[in-house]
Amino acid sequence: MPERITLYTAKICPFAQRTEIALAEAKAQYTRFEIDLQNKPDWYASKVNPASKVPAIAYGGPEVPPDQPSPESVKLAESLVLVEFVADLFPESGILPADPVKRAQARFFIEGVSSKLIPTWYGYFLRNAPVEDFYAAVEYIQSLLPAEGFAIGQYSIADIAIAPFLARTRLSLLNEIGKYPEGDGKKVWATITSGKYARFAKYQEDLFARDTFKETFDEAYVTDAFKQRFANARNQ
Amino acid sequence: MAPTEQITLYSADYSPFAQRVRIALEEADVKYTMYEMNTRFIKPEWYYTINPFGKVPALTFGGPNVPPDQPSAESAKLVESMVILEFLADVFPEARLLPADPIQRAKARQFVEIYRNYVFDEFRDAFFRGKPVEGVLAALEKLQDALPPKTGFAAGAWSIADAAVAPLLAGMVLCVRAGIGAYTEENWQKLRAALESETFARFMQYIQDIHERPSFKKTWGNDDLQIEIWQNHPGVRRLRTAENAEGFPGGV
Repeated sequence: MPERITLYTAKICPFAQRTEIALAEAKAQYTRFEIDLQNKPDWYASKVNPASKVPAIAYGGPEVPPDQPSPESVKLAESLVLVEFVADLFPESGILPADPVKRAQARFFIEGVSSKLIPTWYGYFLRNAPVEDFYAAVEYIQSLLPAEGFAIGQYSIADIAIAPFLARTRLSLLNEIGKYPEGDGKKVWATITSGKYARFAKYQEDLFARDTFKETFDEAYVTDAFKQRFANARNQ
Repeated sequence: MAPTEQITLYSADYSPFAQRVRIALEEADVKYTMYEMNTRFIKPEWYYTINPFGKVPALTFGGPNVPPDQPSAESAKLVESMVILEFLADVFPEARLLPADPIQRAKARQFVEIYRNYVFDEFRDAFFRGKPVEGVLAALEKLQDALPPKTGFAAGAWSIADAAVAPLLAGMVLCVRAGIGAYTEENWQKLRAALESETFARFMQYIQDIHERPSFKKTWGNDDLQIEIWQNHPGVRRLRTAENAEGFPGGV
């Protein structure tokens, strides 16, 4: 029986949403505490996560208000570590298959997300780096997908790792948020959801249709937060 | 019952990433075949059917017993050293390559993330790109803070977290001792002084514990071999030419 879980998170943050999806898939009982990333409470770095980032989990220990974390709880951070932790605590969740080869496939997919998709997206989004690099990463991710279904067929940590990022890529492009020229956003979105990227487009739809994704993604809030946060991206 | 599938590891002595997997296989104490690559950039054609990226390590699992250079379509092909380490932990649970307890497993994985997110880039920047060394020293302190305070490995008991960092950290410490890298004379002295100081006593104890581990000893070779490997690292060789050899401790 898993112990008490408190999750420190932020609706805007894709890394944090990974952990929320994993906990939702596990149907886990936990306390959710929102951290304002623009105005972090002074106890957060010293008592929860020295890196001062979300997500973080306080596990076990006595029942305390989330803003008064106990030194007795174990503090854990790093979104992918936390997703694997949830899979270990809740094996019935099914987010890690039983077969080691399929697990390795899921983790290999995640490596591709971390080393190719995320850096090239941020390059384009924050620095207007060549969009071709991002397209190459999308093509690579697409090449790993089976003919239908999720990254390794059944839903897994691989999909949990990618979905929050794709959701924010979508809302950024459709709302022309980012450093790239205004007007390019919708064109890039059209490119990656049609033609030779048709399989990728279907995969995205499947990810966004998942209940645990919908429950943990407040699109209106995140869109607004992105508009505010990245309002001056083109002026810098 | 222990798995009976064949295991073949494609490795190379120049690769610390391949050494990670060799360490884990030794710790698991399982039967495996090792095929050593001896070319860094161009691999034999058949190898690309195992790893389309052409890099080591790669591991085949299952399928019929075939010569390593005639891989079977039936074997599972695994690439990416960290993925392979987790795979071995899954396939050989009795070998305890990862602890059984979820919290300790998370600590082991967190340790690797600290290495990956903070130390690796700083190491590359300081040793291969001549950047100031304060960055790598600060990163190493973060890593040191994640170790159990007095003794033990990353998660207490040895785990794949240690296999993951050992070849790179041991390589880095060796480079400092031997003066290999793109740093200036002054920065070299800073590195040496730091690693010899009380500040890094716990870290250096960890390095010693790594060196004493049989699985590490067996797969490291020896210091002279490793010095040659690191001196010939493409990143280091690119920087060292007759013109700038004077800036390099240890010469060309």
